[in-house]
Amino acid sequence: MRVLLCFLLLSVCLATGQTAPEYRWSRQQVGDSAELLTLFHRGDRDVPLLSVLRDTLADHDPANDRIMYVWLLTYSKLTLPQRMLAAVPFFYWRVSKGSIASAKEPKPLLNMVAPTYPVFSDAARTILQWTLLDPMTTPIRASSRAYRTNEVDHERLHLEEAIGYLRRAPVDVPGALTSAELHTVAARLELRKRMLGGFVSQTRAEKIGEQQAYEEERVRARNWELLRQCAEKTGLIFEPLDLGQPTADYGMLWFDPDAPRPTNPATIAPVWKLLSLRNPWTDERLPKWKGFTADRRFDEAGRLLPADAAEGQTRRLIPLGIYSLLYPKVPLLMVDFRDARHVRNHEMAQRTINEITAGVIGISHFTNWYYYAGADLYDFVASRHGRAMVQTSRLECYSRFRVALMLDSSLAPDLRSDIQKRVNALAVNPLEASPEREFEAAQQRYEHLTEDAADGFLLGRVQKARRAEVADFGRSNGALAWDGFVHLVTFGKYTRRAPSATFATLDRNRRSIAGPITEVAAGAP
Amino acid sequence: MRGIGRAGAHCALTCLLLLASMAANAAEPVRLLVFEIDGLNADLLYQNMDAGNLPSFERIFRENGTVFENFYTRGISLSAPSWSILDTGHHAIIRGNVEYDRYTGHVYDYLNFFPFYLGNARQRAADMPGAEVLDRAGIPLVIDQFGPEHTYQSFQLFQRGVRWTTLERVLKDRFSKKSFISMLEDGGAPPLNQLWARETEVDVGRALQNPAITYIDFYTGDMDHEGHATSQPEALFAELKRLDGLAGRLWKAVQDSGSADRTVFIVVSDHGMNNVAGIISQAFSIPDLLASAEGGGHHVITNRHELSDFKLKGLDPMVHRVINASANSYYLAGQESEYPTAWVDVDGNERASIHLRNNDLNQIHILLQQLARKELAPNVRRAAAIYLSEVIDRHRSGWATIADQLEEELKAEGAVIDREKQETAAIPKKHFSKPSSGEDQQRIRLVQELEDRERERNEYEAYIGRLRALLTFEPDRLRPFTRKISDLVPELSLGDNNSVYDLQNYIVGPAAGGLVLDGSGRLDVQRSFRFVDYFRLLAAQRVRNNPQPALSSKPVDFSITALPSESGQAYWIYDDADNQLLETVDSQGRISVHPVCELREDRDGTVHSTPQPWRAGLPLHLFEDPALDTAGVDRAEWLSQPHTEREWYAAVHRTAYSNAVIGITEQFGPLRIGNVPGVLGRYELRKRQLVQPDIQVFAADHWNFNVRNFNPGGNHGAFFRISTHSVWMLAGAGVKKADVTVPCDSLNFTSTILSIAGKQVPMPDRVMTIPSGP
Repeated sequence: MRVLLCFLLLSVCLATGQTAPEYRWSRQQVGDSAELLTLFHRGDRDVPLLSVLRDTLADHDPANDRIMYVWLLTYSKLTLPQRMLAAVPFFYWRVSKGSIASAKEPKPLLNMVAPTYPVFSDAARTILQWTLLDPMTTPIRASSRAYRTNEVDHERLHLEEAIGYLRRAPVDVPGALTSAELHTVAARLELRKRMLGGFVSQTRAEKIGEQQAYEEERVRARNWELLRQCAEKTGLIFEPLDLGQPTADYGMLWFDPDAPRPTNPATIAPVWKLLSLRNPWTDERLPKWKGFTADRRFDEAGRLLPADAAEGQTRRLIPLGIYSLLYPKVPLLMVDFRDARHVRNHEMAQRTINEITAGVIGISHFTNWYYYAGADLYDFVASRHGRAMVQTSRLECYSRFRVALMLDSSLAPDLRSDIQKRVNALAVNPLEASPEREFEAAQQRYEHLTEDAADGFLLGRVQKARRAEVADFGRSNGALAWDGFVHLVTFGKYTRRAPSATFATLDRNRRSIAGPITEVAAGAP
Repeated sequence: MRGIGRAGAHCALTCLLLLASMAANAAEPVRLLVFEIDGLNADLLYQNMDAGNLPSFERIFRENGTVFENFYTRGISLSAPSWSILDTGHHAIIRGNVEYDRYTGHVYDYLNFFPFYLGNARQRAADMPGAEVLDRAGIPLVIDQFGPEHTYQSFQLFQRGVRWTTLERVLKDRFSKKSFISMLEDGGAPPLNQLWARETEVDVGRALQNPAITYIDFYTGDMDHEGHATSQPEALFAELKRLDGLAGRLWKAVQDSGSADRTVFIVVSDHGMNNVAGIISQAFSIPDLLASAEGGGHHVITNRHELSDFKLKGLDPMVHRVINASANSYYLAGQESEYPTAWVDVDGNERASIHLRNNDLNQIHILLQQLARKELAPNVRRAAAIYLSEVIDRHRSGWATIADQLEEELKAEGAVIDREKQETAAIPKKHFSKPSSGEDQQRIRLVQELEDRERERNEYEAYIGRLRALLTFEPDRLRPFTRKISDLVPELSLGDNNSVYDLQNYIVGPAAGGLVLDGSGRLDVQRSFRFVDYFRLLAAQRVRNNPQPALSSKPVDFSITALPSESGQAYWIYDDADNQLLETVDSQGRISVHPVCELREDRDGTVHSTPQPWRAGLPLHLFEDPALDTAGVDRAEWLSQPHTEREWYAAVHRTAYSNAVIGITEQFGPLRIGNVPGVLGRYELRKRQLVQPDIQVFAADHWNFNVRNFNPGGNHGAFFRISTHSVWMLAGAGVKKADVTVPCDSLNFTSTILSIAGKQVPMPDRVMTIPSGP
C-alpha cells in the first residue's frame, strides 16, 4: 500500500513537471531488519546532513517501524580550547572553525528509545550548579554558568538545525521517512529543549510534531504579511527570500532612494521600532551609500520582479535588512546592512546582563524572584511593542539562517558573500563551529556511519535498543523516571533491558502503541 | 418569487409529509441537533468526504442523509449577518460584525464575548449583543420557538445566557495538575478552545439523554480560526478530521440516547473561506487611506486597535471603539476625540463598510470655523453666512421631520421605560451569583433592556437638541461666530447618510486658500473647499508591495452603495469609471443588472449614467464567467432581462461570484423588522437604518481589509463562491440519502429545519424538499 502511495505521489510530481526537490533521502540496509536513512542536500556536490536509524523488524509493514537514533552529521565534536573559552565569562566570539570528524562513530544527537535519560542529566547539572557551584566564589559561579549557557545554546542550535532539515525533507516517498515518523522525530528534537519533554509519550509526540509544523507555517505566513505591510507603510520594498528552500522563510527589505517618501512620518514611527531599523528616509549616509546595491526591475504596477527578470523598469536599490520569518511574534532582523554590529550588540547586551545578574552578582530565581518578575514584566512590555525578547527563539532563527545561507545558491554571489560575513559576526558562542567546517566534516561522518552500518556495529546498537524498548514497554512514567535516575547515577553503565527482544514481541508492542482505534473510527456510525 | 412560492408550497407539503412520517415513528416531537461550524467551506468538506478522508461525515450524511450541494450564504459571507439569518430565518437586519449608530456613535459589537460574559457575571447582560438587537426588532431566534427548558444552546454569537458550569469546568481543566504537567513536558497546556469543545460535548451528551430537550446546538469557531491563520492544506485537513471525529461522536451519542428515531442531526456553516494553498492573503488598510491626506485626513474610528498584538492597549478585552487620529486633518487637527469623521468596520476581512460624516455637516463645521475667525474679510463673512443658511435650509424640512418623529418615538419609548422601571422595581433584590435559571436570565434581560432604552433616549435627545439648535441658528453676517461649535454640530456623530452625490463631491476641508467668492460676491463652493470622490479614490488604490503574481496590485475589487429609486431598489456596483453595474429590483421582486459607466448623481438626487453593452471586465465578471448557465440563451440577452431570484440562482451560483446578485439585494435592500407595532416599530426600524454605512468596499481576490492583526490564511466576507459556498447536511429520523443540487441559501435553511421540527415557519415559501420515508 505504501509503495503504491509513493508511486502515485511520484507520478503526480513527474506529471506536474515539478523540479527536483532540494533535499533527497538515501537508504542503506543495516542487517536485514533495520535501515539507515540519510538526508542529503542537493548541489554541485550533495551534502549529507542528517541520518536516522529505522528499525523495520525485517518486514515491509511501516506500522511496526520505529526510528531509534538520529545523527546530525554537521554536529562537530567540541575541542578543548573551545570548551575552555566557553567557560570564560563575557567571551562572545567564535575563535575556532571547529573540529574535523574523528574516526569514531559519530555520537547520535538523539536516542529515540530512551528519551527520558537527558531529562535526568540536565536536571543533575542544574542541581549541581545551584547547590555546589553557585555558592562558591564569583569566578567559579560565573565561569560555570557561562560554560553551561554556551553548552545549552550549542545543543539547542543543533537541535534546531536538525528540525530545520527535517521540515524541508521529502516525506512519504520511497526511501524517506513517513510524515508520522518525521513529525515524531521533529517533536522529540523539540521536546529535548523542554524540562520534562522526554516523558511525552510516542503517540503524543507525533501530534506535537504535527502541530509544530502547522504552527511554524502560521508564524511564517503571519510574519511574511507583517513585513510586507510594514514595507508598504514605510515606502520600502519587500522581497520574500526562499534561499533555495520550498518556502520563503526570510524577507529582504530594500530601499529605493528615488521612490516617493511616505507622507505620514508621525504615524509610521512605531513601524520602525517593529522593524528594528532606523528610518532610512532621514539617514544621511544613504545618499552616499558605498555598500552593496542591486539594479532590479519593476513591472508597470510597480511590483519588484525576480532578480533574473530581463524586462521592466530598472532601479538601483539599497538593501536595508534581512529578516527571519520564523520568530514566533515578529519578523526577526538577522542582518542590518547599515550597521554590522546592530544585531550582534543586541545579542551581546542581553547575554551580558544575564551573566552579570546570574553569574557575577549571583541573583537567584528563588531568593531574588522579584528581580526576575520585574525582568519578565519588562520583557512582556517590550515584546508587546514588537521587540524580539526571547533569546532561545532568536537562537533558533539564527541556527536555521546560518545553514540555509550556507546551502543556498539562489542569491547573487556578491550579495551572498556580504551576508555571510555579517552572519558570521553573529556567532557569540565559543563552542560554535563554522558552517563551512561543519559541512566538510559531515561527509566524513557520513562515511563513518555507513561503515558502521555495513560492519554490523549499528545493528548491535539496534539490538540493544530493542531490548531496552521491550523492557520499557508498559511501564509508568514513575518507573521510567527511576530507570533514568539509576542510569544517571551509574554514569550510564546501567540500562534496563529485557533479556531478549523477539520480532513478534516488538511488533505487538509497537502496534498497540500506535493504536488502530482512532477517534473517528470510534465515533463512526 | 411566484415561482418560489409554488415550489415552496410543494416543499412545505413534502416537509409536512416528512413530519408526518416522523410522527408516525415517534409520538414525541422531533428533536434537532444542530452542529454549527463557523467558516467551513463546502468544497473543502465535500471533496474530502468524496475522497473518503472523513469517514464520519461520509457515512452519516453522504451514505445515509441529505446533502445540499449548493447551499450559499445569503448576503455577505460574514459571521454575524450570516448567523443572524440562520438563527432566525428572517432577512438580515444585522449587516456587519460591528455596526455604528450614526447619530449617537453607539457601537454594536457582535463578536466580542468579553463584555457579555462580564456583564452576565455582574447581572447586567443576559444576551449577546446580536440577540439583543433581534429581540428589540421583534425577530425571534430559532431557539425561542422551543423555549428555554427544551433547549441546549452552546456558546455562540447569538447566545442567550451563559453556562457558567461549563465555563467553570473548562477553567478547572485548564488549571488542573494534568495541564500543569503537560506544560512542563511539552511547553503547552491544551488550548482553551479544545477544552471548551470537550466540555460542550459533555453537555451535549447530557442534553441528548434528556428527552425534554428538543433543540440542541453545538457551535464551533475552530475551523474559522484555522482558516484565517493558514491556508496550509494539511493544517486545514487536520481540523476537518477533528470535526469529523466530533460529528461521529455526536452521532453515536444520538444513537445511544434512545431517541435516535426522532432526532435529526444537522450540520451547517455560515460561510466558506477563501483558502488557496500557497497563497498568503494580503491586507490593505482602509483606515490608513482615510487618514491620509489624499483620503481626506479623517480621524477614523475602528472597533479594534490596529496591529493590536503590538500595543499594550491591544490587551483590553472590552475595547469596542478606537479612535485613530490623523496627522493630515484639514480642519479638525487635535479634535479626534470629538470629531472622528470616518467610522469603519473592517471586521469583515474581504469587505469593509465605511461611514463618513454627513457632507453638509462638514460644510457647516468648516463654515462655522471660518465665521469664528475675527480676521475674515466682511464680504467673505457675509457670503459664508449666507451660504451656511442655504445649507441649513436645504435640510430644514428633513431635519425637522426627523426631530419631530424621533421625539414622538422617544415619547413612546418613555412609556416603555416607565413600565419597565415598575417591573424591575418589583423584582426582589435577591442575590444570584451565578445567573443560570431561565428566571434569573429573564430578570437580567429586563434590567439590561431598561438600561439600554434609557441610554438610547439620552443619546438621541442630545442629537435632537443639536438638530433643533441648527434649525434655529441664524448665522451672523457681520460679527464673528462666538458660540461653541459643539452646540450645533454634534460630537461623535455622523448625522444622516451621504448620498452618492455627497460621496462623489465629499468635502474634507477648506481649500488651501480659504474661502473664495465668485464674481457675484457669493461663495464659490468649488474653489472654497477640498473635495474627494470616494468611489474614484478607492478604485485608484494600488499596492506596490505585492510579491505574489497571483494577486492584483489593485486591492479594491469594487464598492457598492444603494441609489435612490422610485420603482423599487437600485444598487450601484463601482469598479472604476468605465466598469460599473446598476442592479435594480422591481416591484415584483425581479432583479435586473445593467452595465453602465460614468454614473453620477445630482444634488437633487437625479441619477445619470451611460448604458453599456454586456462585455468582459465588468464587476462580478458574469459575462465572461464560463460557469454562467443561461440555459442556452445568449448571455448578453439573458443578462439584459429581469429575472426572478430563483432564475438568477440557477444561472449564477457556480460563477466566481456565486450569488452576489441576490446577496446584494439582501445586504443593501430595505430593512424588515419583526412584530413591533406602531411608533415603536418605526423607532426600531430607524435604529437599524442608522447603522447602515455609506459605502461597502469589497476586496479583490486574496486581499483583505483586516487591520487588527493578520489573516494570512484565508478570508471571507465577499461574494466569491469560495467564501459563500457553505455546508448544509442532515441525517436521521427518516431523512433519506439524497444529494440536493438545487441552489439554496440561509433563508431556506431555517424555514426548512423549523418545518421539520413542526414549529412556526418564518418563510413557508423557502422550505426545501427533504427526501424522507422508511
